[in-house]
Parts: sequence; C-alpha cells; structure tokens
Amino acid sequence: MQFSNIINASLIYATFRASTPIIYAALCAAITQQANILNIGTEGIMLVGAFTAVTVSYLTGSWVLAILISMLAGMAIALIMAVGHIKYQAEICAIGMGINMFAIAITKYLLNSILGKSGSFSDPKIVGIPKVHIPFLDNVPVLGDIFNNWAITEWFVIILVIVITFIFYKTVWGLRLRAVGRFEMAAQTAGINVNAMKYQAIMISGLIGGLAGAHLSLGYSNLFTENMTNNRGFMGVAAMYFGNAHPVFTAIGCLIFGFADSVGARVQAYGVPSQFVLLMPYVITVAVLAISMASKKAAEKKRKSSLTT
Amino acid sequence: MKKKLISVLLVAAMTLCMAACTNQADVATDDAAEEEAADDAAEEDASGEEAAGEAAAGSDIRVAVVYSGNLGDKSYNDSCNEGAMKAQEDFGVEIKSLEGTTAEEWEANFLACCEEGYDLIICSSSNFEEYMKEHCANYPDVKFAVIDTTVEGDNIQSISFAQNQGSFLAGAAAAMFTEMTDIEGVNEEAIIGWVGGMDIPVLHDFYVGYEQGAKYINPDITVLQSFAGTWNDPLKGKELTLAQYDQGADIVMNVASGTGPGILEAAKDAGKYAIGVDLNQDADQPGHVLTSMVKRVDTACYLTIQSVVEGTFQGGTTSYLTIADGGVSLTDFAVMKEALGDQFPTEIEEKVAELEEMIISGEIVVDNYEGFGANQ
Repeated sequence: MQFSNIINASLIYATFRASTPIIYAALCAAITQQANILNIGTEGIMLVGAFTAVTVSYLTGSWVLAILISMLAGMAIALIMAVGHIKYQAEICAIGMGINMFAIAITKYLLNSILGKSGSFSDPKIVGIPKVHIPFLDNVPVLGDIFNNWAITEWFVIILVIVITFIFYKTVWGLRLRAVGRFEMAAQTAGINVNAMKYQAIMISGLIGGLAGAHLSLGYSNLFTENMTNNRGFMGVAAMYFGNAHPVFTAIGCLIFGFADSVGARVQAYGVPSQFVLLMPYVITVAVLAISMASKKAAEKKRKSSLTT
Repeated sequence: MKKKLISVLLVAAMTLCMAACTNQADVATDDAAEEEAADDAAEEDASGEEAAGEAAAGSDIRVAVVYSGNLGDKSYNDSCNEGAMKAQEDFGVEIKSLEGTTAEEWEANFLACCEEGYDLIICSSSNFEEYMKEHCANYPDVKFAVIDTTVEGDNIQSISFAQNQGSFLAGAAAAMFTEMTDIEGVNEEAIIGWVGGMDIPVLHDFYVGYEQGAKYINPDITVLQSFAGTWNDPLKGKELTLAQYDQGADIVMNVASGTGPGILEAAKDAGKYAIGVDLNQDADQPGHVLTSMVKRVDTACYLTIQSVVEGTFQGGTTSYLTIADGGVSLTDFAVMKEALGDQFPTEIEEKVAELEEMIISGEIVVDNYEGFGANQ
C-alpha cells in the first residue's frame, strides 16, 4: 500500500465531491432547525428533487429549468410538511418520515408512469449540470487537480453556505428566525408572526432540498435510481446537529463525512476489508453526534450556571 | 366540516401511501377458487408425472421471482427478468416479480410467495440462501430454484455459473488493454480495477477469475478491489470507481448490478474505461465500455420455468453453466471497435478467443473461490 496513492491532491476534490450533496441536505435541515423544526423529511425532499430534475432535463433538455422546477417540487413537498405541522400540529418527525416514505413511493410510481422505466433511468438526452473548466489551471500541477472541472452546483454550495450564514446572523429576518426557534412566545410578544416565519423557513428549506436533489442526479451523476439519496439526507441532518445548525460548522461536519467516504474508497482498493471501510461513515456519524451533543450539553450547563450566579 | 374533510383526505392519503410502500410484498390477491386451482395443480405436479403433459398445455402455472434489488439495473436482475418474460410469452405462465432492496424486504417477499401458493419460486440471487435453508422444507409442495448458489433440499433446484471463467477473460482483456498507452486515457501503469456490489461469496468467484486472468497476461499487474456494500447506490459505485482511476487504474470491471450504472458513468466522466457485467452493457456508455462479461441469468431462469412447465423439474439438483455451455462469455467488442476505429487493438480480441479455447479444452484451469465450481 502506497501512502501517496491514498492521500494526494485529488483526495481534496473527492472529499468535496462526496460532501456536496450532504452539505446541501444539511443546509436544508439547518434553516428549519433555526426555527426549532427538525426537518427529517430532508431525504424525501431531496429524492423528489432528484427525480424532478432528471425528468425535466430529459424532457426539455435544459438543466437550468430542471434545477428551477426541482426546487419548486422540493418546496411543494415541504409545503405539505409545513401545513401538516404548523396548521394541524402534526408531530414533525412523524410527518417527516411520512414524507420520506411518500417520496420513495411516488418517485417509483412516476418513474414507471412518466418515463416507463423501473429501477433506474439514464439516457443521453439528460442534460447534466455543466462543469466549470478553468483553462489556465490546466498547466498548474496541483491546483489543476483540485479545482478544475467542478460542477457549477459544487461551486455554488460554497456561496450558499456564506449567504445563509449572512442571512442567519446579519439580517433582521435571520434574527427573527432564530428568535422563533429560541423562544416562540417571546418572539410572538415582540410582534413577530411566528407561523409566517415557520412557513418561510420550511419553504426555503424545500427549495434548497430540491436543489440538493438536482445536484445529486444532474451534477454528481447523470441518472436517477430508486431511492438514490441512500440516506444522504439523514447524514445531512446528522451534520446539521454536529454544526448546531450553523451553516459553516455544519458544512465542516459534512466534509468530515465526505473525507471518511473518500479515504474509505481509496484504502479499500488496497485490501482493507470492505466491511470495515463501509462501517466507517456510520461510526463517524455516531462519534460526531456524540461529540457535538456532549459539547452542547457542556455549553448549556455553563450558560445555566452563569444565569443563576 | 372542513376539518373533517381534510382528515378523511389524510386518512385516504395514508392508506394510499401504505399500499404503495407494501406493493412489493403485495402479492396478487386472486379469489379463493383460483388459488385452490393452483394448489391442485401443484399437487398434481408433485404426485403424478402423468399430469405433466396437461400442466404444460395449461397456463395456470404461477411463478414468482424474488429479486435482491430492483429491476432496471440493466444487469443481473434485468437479465433474469428477460428470461422470465420470455417464458411468460412462450408458455403462458403467470409471472410475479418482487423487488426488494433490504434484507427484511427479501425475507418478507420470499415468505409471501411461499404462503401464496406459487408453483415455482425463483430466488434470483445468493442473498436468499439463508431464507431458503430455513423455510423451503416447510413448503414441500412448492418448487424452488436458486440462481448463483447451491442450496440443499428435495424441492430446490440450484443453478450456478462459471463466472470465474468469464471473469478470467475479462481480466485478461483488461490486463492487455491497460498496456495500450496509445489509446486516450490509458496510462503507463499496469493497474486495473474491480468494483463489486455486496461482499458475498459469488462476487469473490468473479474476482478470483479476474485476477487470475490479469496475472496470466502480466504477472506483475496490480488489481484494485472495492465493494460498494449495496446493489443500488450508483453514486457510491461512481465514487469508488473514480477513486480507483485516481490510483492509477484505467479500466475497471463492474460487478455491481444496480450500483453498476455509476461505475460505467465514472468511466465516461473520467475519460477512462470499464467492463460491463451480466448483460451486454457495451452500449450503455459507448466508447467507454471495452466489453461485457455476459452471464446468461436469463437462460437459467427460462430453463427452470420450462422444466416446471414440462414436468421435468428435479429437486435437489445442481446445474453448472460454464463457458463451454455458453453460460458465460465476453461480448464481441463491437461497440468499442466502432468507437476506436483503427486504434482498436485487434490482438485483444484474438487473444481472448485463444484463451477461451484453452479454457474449454482444459489447458487453462481457472481457480474457483471456496465453495464454487462444478463439483459443489
């Protein structure tokens, strides 16, 4: 086993490539989490987004349209959750799981009825999200390996993390959102329309979830498979917990997952047992969550004691 | 009133959702009379051979095929389904396909079929081995068949393939191809790759042959091996394949059913090459799939159904389809020839044909993974 074959420049891009779908998913979960709504339905929203993106791209040949419509589809699914949770006080976890199951079933059904395929769908007519080729980097040894040929959505996720961080912590809307999440009644007393904030949070979350799906099926790959999200939505939720719904820390959590995945893919090729490698993402999920929960608890304890003294 | 209406609607939606979720296990609910008829037919088949002729003429034989994965993988499962569909056309039997992606679903689907009184239940892969061992004896009137592994039992027919022989040729072709540095995307290093689905014994039988074939051509070659751990995550397959390309491989063999489309897509994205599996996948990513190791799962499925229709089904038997029987083979490189034009290395094709002859004549003996082979 050669060390340089496992840790090299291309590992950086591989890590980022594997992380991007999870970062989108985590941002989708982070927005609602700021309003104290646990978005378990991320997985389902993503799956619907992924399916819509492939279908629209196949039918219209436009990846831009595909992304836009899949975002709207994500929002529509999220709206079901919002109405159920906010208007009819449904338990958010239950309705989220319902959305996930519904997404698997509806995409399977539509795959059959619209595209006439079962299991998976790929076709040369599916127009993927273009990759950004930076000509002058071709001749730069290391940077060329790392930064060339990223999909547009891979660049965009960085912008999105920054924008969402700004919105959360530097805008009135973000402050109100966090106020709703921290202490609903106080927010209401201060004149914030709590329900409107929650609706907005869930719907924006749906937009990002749809984008996450579109990236998965058009940016990361060029096909759709039943249940193609394969728990990436849940990993996003886990990363969101790790980052305490702060976009930057959340994204870092996602990169840890992506790194584990990419290193795993590389060491496996050199005879490390696959069972062990395939276990790693789950071990890391548990470890990451345990650490973040422990530190959160400690912080809370500290805050409490400073209040009483 | 409005609330009531909505709650009724919600209940309806829930029911629909539940129905959709369980549709895979939801075996056709025929009326009792028809079921009895089927049971009778099964008994007839079991008790008297003279009834066999009548059974062949009738279309009341019901066959269930349980899959460890989804249809539409353009690989193993689709191949099996092709055989079943052909049998449906030729013999007019009823075919029920049950897909499932998790172990719980597999067992539930399998048991649902057992209970439902099908005449023949075909378990499409070795993932069903444990359930068959546990349950088949409890349903003596049902005929079972399993592809890709051997399960003991008086009512079980097992069909295996010499995938090691087909993989030997694939490995040899890959080992020759990785030396063709004039072809775009082929690097200097003698490294080839192999990506599998779940880490199950039958895949190791593929790998043993692949590695032996590669080493036969070039004893110093490095073969990278990865498992995705799933049959239906093409993105995982893509990531593993790209990782192997990063590590110097220029051609990777796909043995991963529904995970496979990602492997072939990685070949296209990276401008490298792959080898298909089970069905002819050469045209899936034209110009990036050198050849495919075709495994005639369709034939196995078709012949099993035929044996039940004709009353020649023999429980407790094992058939082993080798390269000599046409059970496994490589495709004719046609798509790759077209893509590469004059650059196509014809010596690969010639050498593969030569090696195939040598395997058939017994000059080359391809090793088996433990538990596989003609005498198992």
